[in-house]
Amino acid sequence: MLLPLLVRQSLCCPRVLLTRCVRTLRCDAPRTLHSQAERFLQRRLPLRSHAQSRGVKSRSRKSKSQEEEWKNKNKTVLTYIAAAGVGMIGLSYAAVPLYRLYCQASGLGGMAVAGHDTEQVETMEPVKERVIKITFNADRHASMQWNFKPQQTEIFVVPGETALAFYRAKNPTDKAITGISTYNVVPFEAGQYFNKIQCFCFEEQRLNPHEEVDMPVFFYIDPEFDEDPRMARVDTITLSYTFFEAKEGQKLPLPGYSYN
Amino acid sequence: MSTAMNFGSKSFKPRAPDKGSFPLDHFGECKAFKETFMKCLRDNSFDNSKCRLQSKEYLQCRMDNQLMTKEPMEKLGFRDLIDPPPSQADGDTKP
Repeated sequence: MLLPLLVRQSLCCPRVLLTRCVRTLRCDAPRTLHSQAERFLQRRLPLRSHAQSRGVKSRSRKSKSQEEEWKNKNKTVLTYIAAAGVGMIGLSYAAVPLYRLYCQASGLGGMAVAGHDTEQVETMEPVKERVIKITFNADRHASMQWNFKPQQTEIFVVPGETALAFYRAKNPTDKAITGISTYNVVPFEAGQYFNKIQCFCFEEQRLNPHEEVDMPVFFYIDPEFDEDPRMARVDTITLSYTFFEAKEGQKLPLPGYSYN
Repeated sequence: MSTAMNFGSKSFKPRAPDKGSFPLDHFGECKAFKETFMKCLRDNSFDNSKCRLQSKEYLQCRMDNQLMTKEPMEKLGFRDLIDPPPSQADGDTKP
């Protein structure tokens, strides 16, 4: 009689098979004893309920996944920070040509002036009302033995008109001397409007013994000179050339950032 | 100038010339044109506008003697001094 009951029980719930077995065997025992036995058996049995086992595993899995999540988050944050760092370094290198472009476009600093090109010479109109006096100065280095002087002390020009001026250099010694020159324009702010088309500066010029040459300077003042409020009171511009003796193998570097 | 150097203000930055450097006129081939130009300047109290023709001729001499790269005079700012091209036979005038 008990056997079919057993079988039925075992079929329906294999999970708590053993506990059920115990129950059926002592079907007429008091309930507390059954429950105690059940509990005892459950504790003894290595088999744990799936729900319980699942819970423990999922807890450990949850903490693991959370740790992994944190690790991933840290990784992404670190990657972003590293990318930002590299980006900053790249930007600082790119800033040099970018700043140069900006200066050229805006004309800031007086160094790079936009629109300063040879096409302007062709199309510019002289501003006949504004007469400017250009004075000439000639200097030489103490050890330079040339005689160097301008052939005119001053010349009156207007902005937008090309002008020619002459210097004279003489080599009074018995040996050939090579000279190289640089120039200066005063006032400094007017220097950006003083455009030389051709001159004799920044290149070595060789004079044979007792030779005398004329050195021309072909230049113009930018017509925008008249429109600059800072130049409103400027009536005199001084062009000053200085000659140095060029040593062998020495090369005067062309001024940097020259956009000619 | 050097002792009163004011570091706050902008300093002068020399620029290379547009067309580079004039070769030296060692043989004085264009000296005559230069003398004409200088005389014109002295006579006109150093007014450049009055002596532009002479300066144009000096530069033309330089170009002819290979002391300067040949360039049309308009590019050197002498557009107003160029002779107008001869008018057509059928007589249409240019402004």
